[in-house]
Parts: sequence; C-alpha cells; structure tokens
Amino acid sequence: MRNIIVAILVIVGFASCEKVVEIKYKDNQSKVVIEGNVTNATGPYYVKISKSISLSNTGFVTTIDNADVTISDDLGNTETLTTIGGGVYKTSTLQGIPGRTYILNVQADNQTYTATSTMPEPVTFDSVKVEKLVMSGETEYNLIPIYTDPAEKGNYYRFELSVNDKIINQQFILNDELKNGVVNTFRLEINNDDLKLKVDDKINVVMQCIDAKVASYYTMLALIADSGPGGGITPNNPQTNISNGALGVFSAHTVQKRETNAQ
Amino acid sequence: MHKKIALINLLLLLSTKLLFAQSYTVSGTVKQKSSGETLMGVTVSIVGKSSVGIVTNEYGFYSLSLPKGDYTLRFSYVGYKQELVRLNLDDNKVVNANMIDETSLKEVVVSSKKDNDNLTKATMGTEVLDIKAASKIPVVFGEKDLVKTIQLMPGVKSSGEGSNGFSVRGGATDQNLILLDEAPVYNASHLLGIFSTFNSDALKDATIIKGNSPSQYGGRLSSVLDVKMKEGNNKEYHVSGGLGLISSRVTIEGPIQKEKSSFMISGRRTYADLIASLSSDFKDIKLYFYDLNAKANLAINSKNKLYFSGYFGKDVLGVSKTFGSNWGNVTGTLRWNSVVSSKLFSNTSFIYSNYDFNVNFTTDGSVINTNSNIKDLNLKQDFTYFLNSNNTMRIGFNIIHHTITPSTTTGTGIVNTKKSRKGLENAIYVNNSYKAYDKLSIDYGLRFSFYNVLGGDVYNVYQNNQLVQSIKLDEGKFGKTYYNLEPRLSMNYRLSNNSSIKAGYARNTQSLHLMSNSTGGSPTDQWIGNSYNIKPEVADQVSIGYSRNFKDNVFELNSEVYYKAMQNQIDYRDGTDINTTPDIESELLYGKGRAYGVEVIFKKKTGKLTGWIGYTLSKTERQINGINDGKWYNAKQDRTHDLSVVGIYSLTSRWTLSGAFVYTTGNAVTFPTGKYTLNNMTLYQYGNRNANRMPATHRLDISATYEKPSKKRFQSSWTIGLYNAYGRSNPYSVTFRESKSDPNKIEAVQTSLFQWVPSVTYNFKF
Repeated sequence: MRNIIVAILVIVGFASCEKVVEIKYKDNQSKVVIEGNVTNATGPYYVKISKSISLSNTGFVTTIDNADVTISDDLGNTETLTTIGGGVYKTSTLQGIPGRTYILNVQADNQTYTATSTMPEPVTFDSVKVEKLVMSGETEYNLIPIYTDPAEKGNYYRFELSVNDKIINQQFILNDELKNGVVNTFRLEINNDDLKLKVDDKINVVMQCIDAKVASYYTMLALIADSGPGGGITPNNPQTNISNGALGVFSAHTVQKRETNAQ
Repeated sequence: MHKKIALINLLLLLSTKLLFAQSYTVSGTVKQKSSGETLMGVTVSIVGKSSVGIVTNEYGFYSLSLPKGDYTLRFSYVGYKQELVRLNLDDNKVVNANMIDETSLKEVVVSSKKDNDNLTKATMGTEVLDIKAASKIPVVFGEKDLVKTIQLMPGVKSSGEGSNGFSVRGGATDQNLILLDEAPVYNASHLLGIFSTFNSDALKDATIIKGNSPSQYGGRLSSVLDVKMKEGNNKEYHVSGGLGLISSRVTIEGPIQKEKSSFMISGRRTYADLIASLSSDFKDIKLYFYDLNAKANLAINSKNKLYFSGYFGKDVLGVSKTFGSNWGNVTGTLRWNSVVSSKLFSNTSFIYSNYDFNVNFTTDGSVINTNSNIKDLNLKQDFTYFLNSNNTMRIGFNIIHHTITPSTTTGTGIVNTKKSRKGLENAIYVNNSYKAYDKLSIDYGLRFSFYNVLGGDVYNVYQNNQLVQSIKLDEGKFGKTYYNLEPRLSMNYRLSNNSSIKAGYARNTQSLHLMSNSTGGSPTDQWIGNSYNIKPEVADQVSIGYSRNFKDNVFELNSEVYYKAMQNQIDYRDGTDINTTPDIESELLYGKGRAYGVEVIFKKKTGKLTGWIGYTLSKTERQINGINDGKWYNAKQDRTHDLSVVGIYSLTSRWTLSGAFVYTTGNAVTFPTGKYTLNNMTLYQYGNRNANRMPATHRLDISATYEKPSKKRFQSSWTIGLYNAYGRSNPYSVTFRESKSDPNKIEAVQTSLFQWVPSVTYNFKF
C-alpha cells in the first residue's frame, strides 16, 4: 500500500524528495537480546545472547558469553547448551519435533529470562511462484509462496528471503485469518524501495511454520517497517515471548527451503 | 437528574418574566439583495437602545419583542451596507431586510463577523469564515480549500504536510464534527488527504467552534465545523467556474420561482489522470476524484420553505488490474423551515449520510475485496424561540441511526464473519442566549445524550483483552445504553467600549470512534460505535478569554486559554492490524487525555491590507494503560508552537497579492534509540512513546490575483501562486536505514513533498 501511494504521488508530479538528516537521539537503555531457534531440521540449534547498543554507535553489538542456557521440552527432556564464543550457544543432542513445546531458560547478567514456543506441524511448501507485473512501464516481480493451508484455523507462516545468497532484511508473515484451508495466493509484500528483483536473480525462500506468539512478534516488526509515508503504526519494541524485558524472540518452527529464478 | 430539570425550569421562568409587559413582535428574514441568499448572524438592534439586540439564525430569521412604540431597526453585518428601517410597532409585524453586499469595494474581509461581535457575543472559541475571503489565501495547486484555511486559525492544527486532517485543541482528527448542511461528513478529504471534500464554489459560509459549542451541537469532543452550501441566486441565472492545474469546476445557479426559490448545482473533477494517460507509461494508472453539490429550495408560502441539499463525491485510485480502490461520501438533507409564529421558528431535517470505502487486489488470479461503510439516517428537530429581546432559546432533539460495517473482506476462498453493527445516537437539548444587560451576555444550555447499542450481531466483552462473555443481541433488540448530561456555558462581560472578557465551560461526549493506522486521515480508517467495551468518550473544557479592538474595530485581538480533560480515550495494542484482526475490540486499550494551551489571534479586518497573525502555545498528552508503561506521553498531534501569518493586500482595484506563512513544531513521534541483531537482520530498539520530534515545518505560500475588467455580466480573474516559495523541504516522514557506505551506521532519511509548487487558476462568472 505504502509503495503504491508514494508511487502515485510521484506520478502526479507532487515533487517528493528524500534526504539524510541528522537526528538527536534519546539515550538508549541497553537490554539483553536473545535469539533462539529450534527447528525440525537436524541440529545443532543455536541461541545467541547479546546486548543492544545505542543507535549512533557504529561498532558491533556486545555479546554475552558467560550465560547459563538450557532448552527443555514438554516431555521433561532438558539440555544445557555450550558456549562457542561470540555470544552463541549450541545444542548437542536435541532434535526438534513438531507438536512439542520447548522452553528456553537463560541466566545472564544475574537475571533469568524464560520463553516458551510450540513447534507447529509442518505444512508442505510446494514452490515459489514468480508473478510478473508491468505497471506504468516498469516490470515488477512478485513472489507467491505456494502451499496448501490445513483446514484447521490458526496457522502462521514466516518467510526468510535471500536474493543471490544475501538475506533480505524484511519480514514476511502470512496467516490463514482471511483465507483458510486453501492454496495460498498472497504475495510476499516486498518493499521495493530496498529490493527490486531482476531477471536471473537467484531467489531462496525458507518457509517456517510458527506459533501465534512468534507470528505476532514478527508481524509487529513488519508493521513498523511499513510505517512510512501514508501512515503507519507507532513503532515500539514488539511483544515477545521472552520474559523479563529481554528483546528478541524464541521460536520453535519447521523449515523448508525452495529456490527459483525470476524469469 | 431531577435537580437539573428543576434548575432548567427555574431558568425558563426567570427569563419569561418580561412576557407580562404589553409587547408586540417584529420578525422577518434577512437576505442578501443581489442574490437573495439568507444571511445568518446579522445583528438586529434598535437605534438608541443598546441593551436590545438579537442575531438572525442559520436561516436568516429573527424576531424581536418590544413594548408598543416607534423604533428604528438597524440591520448590521460586516461587508454589507447597514440598513435602517423605521417601524411603528402597534401590532405584530413582519420586516424583511435586503442587505447590499459591499464587496464591490474590492476590500477583502477576512471574517464575516460583525465589526465588534468579538466583544459582544458570548460565544467562545468560534471563528466564522468568509468563503470569498478564504479564496484569496494561497493554497497548494491553487485549489481553494476551506479546511486548509481553517488550519491557519489558532488552536487548529493540520495533521501533516498537505493533509486535510486537523486537530483542534489537542483532540484527535476524529473528534471534529464536520457538517455539510447538517449532514455529518465522515471523510472530509480527497486524494489521500490532499484536498478537502468541500468545493468552495458551492459554499456559503463555515463556522468552526473549538469545543465550546452551544447545546444544539454534539457528538464529537473537540470541535464543530459547520459548513453551509449556497442556496443559489433567486433573482437571476449565473454560471461560474474555474480551470486549474488539477481540477476544473463549474457552478450554475438561478431562480426556480423568481425571488422565492432557487437552485444551485456545482461540480468539480480532477484531471491529472487524463494528462498522465497521454504518456504510455502511466496508461494503467487511475487517479481522480469528482464531487457534486446540489441544492434547491422551494417556498411553499410566506411561512414555510423546503430545502433539499445533496453532496456526492468519489475518489478512484487504481493501478492496472492489480489494485483498485474507490471511496466517497454521499449526503442528502431535506429541511423544512417553518415560521410557526412570529416568535417561534422551526426547522425539521431528515438527513442521510453514507461513507463507503472499497479496495480490491488481484494476485495470481484471485481477487480480494475489502469494504467498510458507515451509513446514517438522521432526524433533527430544532426550534428557535425568540422569547423576548433578551432571550433566544433553542430547543430540540436529534436521533441518528448508524449502520457501521467494519472492514469486511470477500473474495476467492474467503469466509466473511464480520457483520454490520447498528446504534442509535440520541440527544435532547435546550439552550438560551441571554443578554442580561448591555454589558453581560450569557449562553447556557444542557444536552442530554444517550446511545443505544442495537442488536443484530454478537458483542464480545473483554477484560484486560481476554474474552469474558459473548452477548448475542437479536435484530431489533436494544442492548447497552449509555447516558450523558452535557452542560454548556459561556459568557461575555464587556469591560469597556473596546474590550471584553469571556469564560466558558463545556462537556462534550462522543459515541463514534475512528480506528486508524495512519497519522493523517486515510480512506482505510474505519469507524466503530460504542459497544459493551467501548464507552462514550467524554471531554470537559474550561476556557477564559480576553478580547480587545483597536482603531475603531479595524484591529481585533482575541486570546483564549483552555484546559481540556478527556476520558475513555481509545488506542489499540501494539502490532494490531486494524484491517485484518477478527475483532478489533479485543485489541483496544483505554485511558485518558489532557490538553491545555494559549491561543492568540490578531486581525486587521479592513483597509488595503487585511489578514491575521495567529499563535498557539499548547500541550496535549495521553495516558493509556498498556502503552508506555501506563505513563503520560505526548499525543502525536502535540505541537508546542504553531504560528500562522496571513496577509492579503489590494494593490490596485485589479491586483490582489496574498501570502501565508506557517511555522509549527514537528509532530511527537517515536524514533529508535538503539539497535540489535536478530537472525542476521538489524532491528531497532525503541524507548518512550512519542518522546521525539519531527523537524519543524515552516513554509511561505504566495499568490497574486488579477481581475480583468468586466464586460457586461462577464467577470473573470487569473490567479498565479507559488506554494512553499522558498523551497523548504518539510518533513513528511522520517525513516531509518543502514548506510550504504557503512552498514554499521544507521541514517535517518526524511521524505518531503511539495517544494516550489506553482499554480495557475482561471475563474469566471457570468
């Protein structure tokens, strides 16, 4: 929607221009950031722990290497992860299984953070369809992930897009709120200010089946990213499934990867 | 409740005491001589008796009761030649007045109020706009725009560059009651907010009341913008119109029965898309709007008159076959004016109002349509009772039946579960304008409003956003009812010949609420009525003012201080997409708001140079549980400073120059404070809500109008204008991204619209 509005404003000749401006940022309160993923692919799985830094800081994020990290499941299995440096902790024996609920426990900086996520049953990811559109003399490629949504309501999908092996910093979340139990026809809403697909681009899409809380986390990120001209929501740190004020998310999900080329 | 009724009775009794004197009534209608349009707000007074004075109502009607005797009636109205009529009052008499328009003097009058109305009337926070004067103020693309002019008034803030949304005294954009011939207009903008739905050619006058409205108005917290269409010339036919860069307009008016009834029809359409379609690249773009205003009146006899007015407007926006949308308002008003007796004037209105939004997307052969809609049927009965020369009462009721359809989506494979909801918004009111003596006037009244939730849907009840109960309310059944008493009071005390002080208090309530993901005002915004969760919003406003005129009313200074407390304010939880969430009510959060400020306006009303300087210093905050840890935060429309300078200069009898300068503090926004990495993507961390500011906006617009010497009846003029004359890049939005040269560096990118936008407009009339 946003792109269309801006495009139209420009077309009608409402001079629109962009420039980089200097902003005086408010002080940032550094917070613990936890990124945890458990999938149905073969392990190991990783948990990354770092701390946020102020926006004007051009250095790298600080990492925490002395945390105690465990992942347990609803059958009572628990595994302690081992640090491999750079704030990364890894599992050794755990195997993610759809239908199970996983509990992450992190002790870092004298604080305890916990999170729970349930891995949904996988939905078969058939292919990625490339839709070619010619709008106002410009060719635009859209991506439609093809899968058949199960009859039962409450399925959420997240897509990670890489173009020519470079991961695209955009969030793509679909659900079955509007269309349930049918083959998907929704596009991945690519913000084409930052990404314009070209012929012969190598396109990789990873589909994740995620639970409702994880979906709402990523949906908020997507909404913030779309809050440019034409309105948008007031940005905020998304509601996460991790307790105690940490940033980040813990997600137990299934993964399937498909590749295609824009033609 | 009983106490209040007793109090009203007492007030009524007190004001009837004069009835017992031997007196007769003179009444009539005041019209403009050249066109026969009725004139509202004309002061009717008696020469030599300063304590007597009354103003004509919306339909130009007045009535004065006086002891038997000889009098000279004086009709006065700024921009018009004063009329004096000798009267021997030995019986009830009818005196109609035809006033001569003095705008042929080529002087622009910036406010259509009487010379020193600001000192004598009890109304507070009120600005009456002269549409003709407003047309001289430079605007973007040369499109005359009522709402843009109102945004230049102190206390009224535009919600963003080029936006037609406005915020009054810290209120939200949905807290303004916008009426077009009494019909509520739910989306007052075209083309994503850039143009207003009001075609200036079709309008007669507009009044904005900033929270202190008399009790015949109600239903929104912050303001009333009451816009009236022209009735049409009842003496001769006229055609007028204009050609601009963006749109063209044409208006036809004339008599139906000479001197008795008339019609007016006015249309406007943009044609940017027609030009764009000449280029093959833009062939598949659809983008235009049009609107049509029509009005007719019919005099049944000397005492009864019927009016019909209608508005129809539509925006169309689409890109090839993949995306299409259209939205628009339709309003219709049928009014019956009746002079029941020489003292009692009645107006009955049946009003229809509809706002409809449609959007469709086609992807991969499947179509998705989204529609939202609000439809009103509205009955209003209003009596103006000219009790005596000191008291004018308004008594009446209003019933509005709302049918509100939230965003519903249909299309291939979609099961729609959302239904329309109905509600009944009712009010009974009484108001009295009391001139206690020549120095003191008081306006007081009471509005009793109640809202019924009507059946036909399932209403979910949430506590802390958890579903606790589902109430199935059958079609035709009454559900929850909310009652509110809204006292209104404003008074004016004249300190001296050229100064006065004012004070006012008003409570307003609001039963319809706008859910919006956008800051400006977008066609996708949707209305929602009170429910089991959503209570009426309530605002209490107190204000104090001081007015002083200088140099025989050439200069006017008005200042007001206000404090407004708001309850039951609504926001929604972070991450809610209002268009797709199954029940928006599960995502709502409630809280309160406060707003306070000082407004000053200094006007020069006559002479070669006219105009005003308006300044507002203000603050507006919200406190909503679940947002910003429950702490107070700046509302997005909070702007510390707001300055506007408007000048119109009559260079010669043919040339008029005008300029408008605005400076406003940037909107309160939330910028990121920190960053972190998640799944190899850089994300932003946010601190307190709306703790940052957009850069300030300032701009100078200029225009020049040349009026060609008229040939017989044919008059024409050229206007050239330059919007944003010094090319300031004002912030429309600020976004953040990783720097291309150094990905570890985050840069803020500001998008601006409208730098140096020139315009040419040609207007004609014959």
